[in-house]
Amino acid sequence: MPDELATYAENTWCPGCGNFAILNAMKNVVGKLGERGVAKDRVVMTAGIGCHAKLFDYLALSGFYSLHGRSMATAQGIKLANPDLKVVGFCGDGDAFAEGIAHMMYAAKRNSDITIVVHDNGVYALTTGQRGPTSAHGFKGPSTPRGNTEDPFNPLVLMLEAGATFVARGYVVMVKELADLIVAGVMHEGFSFIQVLQPSVTFTNRYEEYNRTVERLEEPASTFDEALALARETDRLPAGIFYQIEKPANERALYGDWNPVANHPTRTERLAKVKALIK
Amino acid sequence: MSRDRFTFIVGGKAGEGIKKAGSSAANFFASMGRHVFQMDDYPSLIRGGHNFVAVSTATREITSHFMKADLVVGLDKRSYEAHRDHVADGGVVVYNSDAVEDGQGIGVAMTSEAQKYPNPGLRVGVSGAAALSAVIGLSVDEMSAFITKEYKRDLENNIPFATDIYRAVGEKAGGKFPLDKGDRERIMMTGNQAIALGAAAAGLDVYLAYPMTPATTVLHYLAAHDRELGVVTMQPESELAVINMALGAAAAGARTAVGTSGGGFALMEEAISLAGMAEVPILTILSARSGPSTGVPTYTEQGDLRFALSPGHGEFARTLASPGTVREAYTLAAELLELAWRFQSPAVLLTEKHLSESRMTLDLDIEDAAWAEPLMHEGGGYKRYLDTEDGVSPLLFPPSDELIQWTSYEHDELGVTTEDAAAIALMHDKRQRKSEAVTDHLRTMRTVNRFGQGDTIIFTYGSTTMSVLEALRVGGIDATVVQPVYLEPFPVWELEEYRDSNAIVVEQSAAGQFESLLAEKARIDAGARIRRYDGRPFEPEELAREIERAAG
Ligand SMILES: Cc1ncc(C[n+]2csc(CCOP(=O)(O)OP(=O)(O)O)c2C)c(N)n1
Ligand code: SF4
Ligand SMILES: [Mg+2]
Repeated sequence: MPDELATYAENTWCPGCGNFAILNAMKNVVGKLGERGVAKDRVVMTAGIGCHAKLFDYLALSGFYSLHGRSMATAQGIKLANPDLKVVGFCGDGDAFAEGIAHMMYAAKRNSDITIVVHDNGVYALTTGQRGPTSAHGFKGPSTPRGNTEDPFNPLVLMLEAGATFVARGYVVMVKELADLIVAGVMHEGFSFIQVLQPSVTFTNRYEEYNRTVERLEEPASTFDEALALARETDRLPAGIFYQIEKPANERALYGDWNPVANHPTRTERLAKVKALIK
Repeated sequence: MSRDRFTFIVGGKAGEGIKKAGSSAANFFASMGRHVFQMDDYPSLIRGGHNFVAVSTATREITSHFMKADLVVGLDKRSYEAHRDHVADGGVVVYNSDAVEDGQGIGVAMTSEAQKYPNPGLRVGVSGAAALSAVIGLSVDEMSAFITKEYKRDLENNIPFATDIYRAVGEKAGGKFPLDKGDRERIMMTGNQAIALGAAAAGLDVYLAYPMTPATTVLHYLAAHDRELGVVTMQPESELAVINMALGAAAAGARTAVGTSGGGFALMEEAISLAGMAEVPILTILSARSGPSTGVPTYTEQGDLRFALSPGHGEFARTLASPGTVREAYTLAAELLELAWRFQSPAVLLTEKHLSESRMTLDLDIEDAAWAEPLMHEGGGYKRYLDTEDGVSPLLFPPSDELIQWTSYEHDELGVTTEDAAAIALMHDKRQRKSEAVTDHLRTMRTVNRFGQGDTIIFTYGSTTMSVLEALRVGGIDATVVQPVYLEPFPVWELEEYRDSNAIVVEQSAAGQFESLLAEKARIDAGARIRRYDGRPFEPEELAREIERAAG
C-alpha cells in the first residue's frame, strides 16, 4: 500500500534518530483518529525549528512550519480561528522550554485546545549540540565546554503547575504506545502536553539508559499531587498519561459555539453590524 | 461676544474625571451640530499628576484643538498654574479657590462644594460641565439635561452640585460666549475607534493585542463590541504570542489584525518577516508614541517612520500607510486589510497617539470601505506557493483534501523546504514580482492627498496633516498641502511635479525622517522644515506663524 502520508522530501535525520519513531507514530495517529471520526483533513500540524521540526516536511498533513519557539503560538492561532480543526504542534525542547517557554506556560494556563508534542532530546541538535533547557547539569557542548552550569527544567512538572489538563510522557522505542498517547491527547478537549523522550544518536544517545529506566504507566494519577510526585521521579521514568482532567477549553470559554472562519460574514451582514454599532 | 471658534480646556489630577469632563463638553458641542476636536493630554499614571483635555469647536470643519482657550477650568493648583496662560484674549479662567490662593479669574470653592455631597473626589469633575454651561449661557434646565445625558448616574447629587458651580460662575461670566448651532449633528469618534471599525468593515474576524499605549484602545473597543460585530478578540501573553497566533489564525482563513506601539512592534519583527516568507496576510496597527524605547508612553511623535518602512529581516513586499484624519483612519484600515489579503503579505497602518486618541466629529460613509476577499484556489493539485505571473498564489484553507503547507523556510511550490539554488532564486523572483504587483496596484489607487491651493507647497503626513490643515485655516494661509498616505511602496509617481517646489516639510520628528524619505525616494529637497518633538501635537496658531515665517 502506498504511504499516502509520505512526501518526496529527502529525509536528513541521522540513522537511528528517535525522530523516525515519532514520524511513524504520527502516521498511525492519523489512521487512528480517522477511526474516531476525525478525518485527516481536520488534522493540521505546526512545527518549530530544529531537527524535530523536519517532520513537517516528511508528513503529508496540512499546517504551518513556524519559527523557533513559536510552534505552539501558531497552533493556538489556528485553533482560535477554526476550532473544528485538531491541531498538533511539534516542538523541540529548545523550542518549548527556552525560546517559547512563555507560550507553553500560557497555552497550559489558558487550556488552549491543542496538542503539543515535545521531542525532548536534551540538546539543541540542529544547531550542533549546545545545551538546552532539559540538558543535565555538567552537560558538555560547544557553548559549555566546561559543562552546563544550570540545572535542567522538568517539563512535566512545569506543565502540571501551569495548568495543563492532559500531561503525558512517551518514549520513541514504545511507538505503539506513543501513537496512543498522541491520539488520546488530540481527543482530549483542552491543552495536551506530551513529552517524548527522543534520544539524539549524535548528541544524546540515551537509548540504553532509557531502556533501563522507562516504565509503562498503566493509568493516570488520581490526584494532582500524585501526578506531580510521579513527574518528579528520576530513578525510573514512567511513560503514559500522568494526569488528565476536564476543564473548559479556552476557545470555547472565549466564544462558545462561534467559529471565526465558518461564521465569516458577508459584506452586507458586516456593514449592517458596523452601522448598528455607531448609531 | 459671539465667536465662531470656541475652546474649552479642563485640567486636574488623574482620577478626578477630567477625561469625562472633556468628552462631555465635546459631545455637547457635537449635539449642537457643531464640528469638534478633542485632544486628551495625560501622563502615564492612574492617579494624581496633571491631566487636561482641550476641546475646540466651530461651525466650520475643525481638525485640531487649540491651546488658547475661551474657557479654562482648573480643578487643582497645578492645572491652574499650567493653563492660566492658555486663556485667549477676553477668555475666562475658572479655578478651584480651595486649592489656589489669590488666583486670577473666577475662583469657585469646588472642593468644599463637593464635600457637601457623597464621594466628593469623584464629583469635582462635574465642575467642568457646570462652568461651561454657565459661560455659554445655558439655562439651569438645559444644563441639567446636559449633565443627565452625560453623567447618567448619581444625578440627585450631581445636578445640585453642578447648579452651585453654575451659579458661582454665572454671576461673573454667565452667557459670555453664546454658541451658534451648527448645520447638523455628526458622529464623533477617536482614531482608534475608526481603525477598529474600518478593519471590521473590511471583514475582520480576529483581533489580537497586548496592551501598549496608544494602540490599546483598539483592543478595548473591539473587546467591548466583539459580539455585536462578530469579531473575536484576545489578549495573549506577549507581542510575540500576538503576532505568531495571528499568523496561525490568518493561515486558517481568519481575517486577522494585531495592534501595538513601537516596542511591541519591535518584538513582532521576526514574525513580520515570517509573514513575508510564508505569504501570510496580516494587518498590524502601529500607533507611535514619543520614543525611543519606553519613551513617553502617552505622548505623540512620528519617530517610528523609518522603522515601520522596513520591518523584519529579508526581502519581501511590505505595505505601509498612515491616515491623516479620523475619517481616513476608517477607510485606510479597511483598505490595508484588503491589500494584505490581496497580496498575502504584511500591511502596516502607522499612526500616532495624536490621531489614535484624539476624538473628532466626522461624516462617515460606512460603505466607503474595502472588503478583504482573497484569491481562492479551486479544484485539485493545490500548491501553496504556485509560481504565478504576479507572484500571488491562490489560497486554500483546511479542512481540505489538498495539502496546504505554509512555511518559514525557503520552499518549493508545494511548501517543502529547499536549499536548491534554482528553487531559491525562483521563489525570490516570485516574491519580487509580488512586490512589483503591489506597486502597480497602488498606481491605480489614491495614494496621495492634496489639499488647498497656493504656491507654497507643504509636505506632511499622518496626524500632523490635521494640524497643518487647521493652521492654514486659522492663519488664512494659501498653500498646497501634499500628504502621502502610502509610505511603502512610496508613491513617487504622484510626486514628480514637486521636485523643485522648495517645499516646507512639517513633521513630529527630531531627525526629520519624513524629510529624508522625500529626498531619498522622490528627490524632493525641502526648502524649509518645521519639526516638533516634545511629545505635544502642533498648536495651529503657533504652526500658522511658523509656516508664514518658513514661506518667507
Ligand atoms: C530566533 C531563532 N534563534 C535561533 C535559531 C537557531 N536555532 C534553530 S533550531 C535551534 C535549537 C533547536 O533545539 P531544539 O528546539 O531542542 O530542537 P532539536 O534540533 O533538538 O530537535 C536554534 C537555536 C532560530 N532558528 N531562530
Ligand atoms: S542530530 Fe540528533 S536529533 Fe538531529 S537528526 Fe541527528 S540524531 Fe536526530
Ligand atoms: Mg532538542
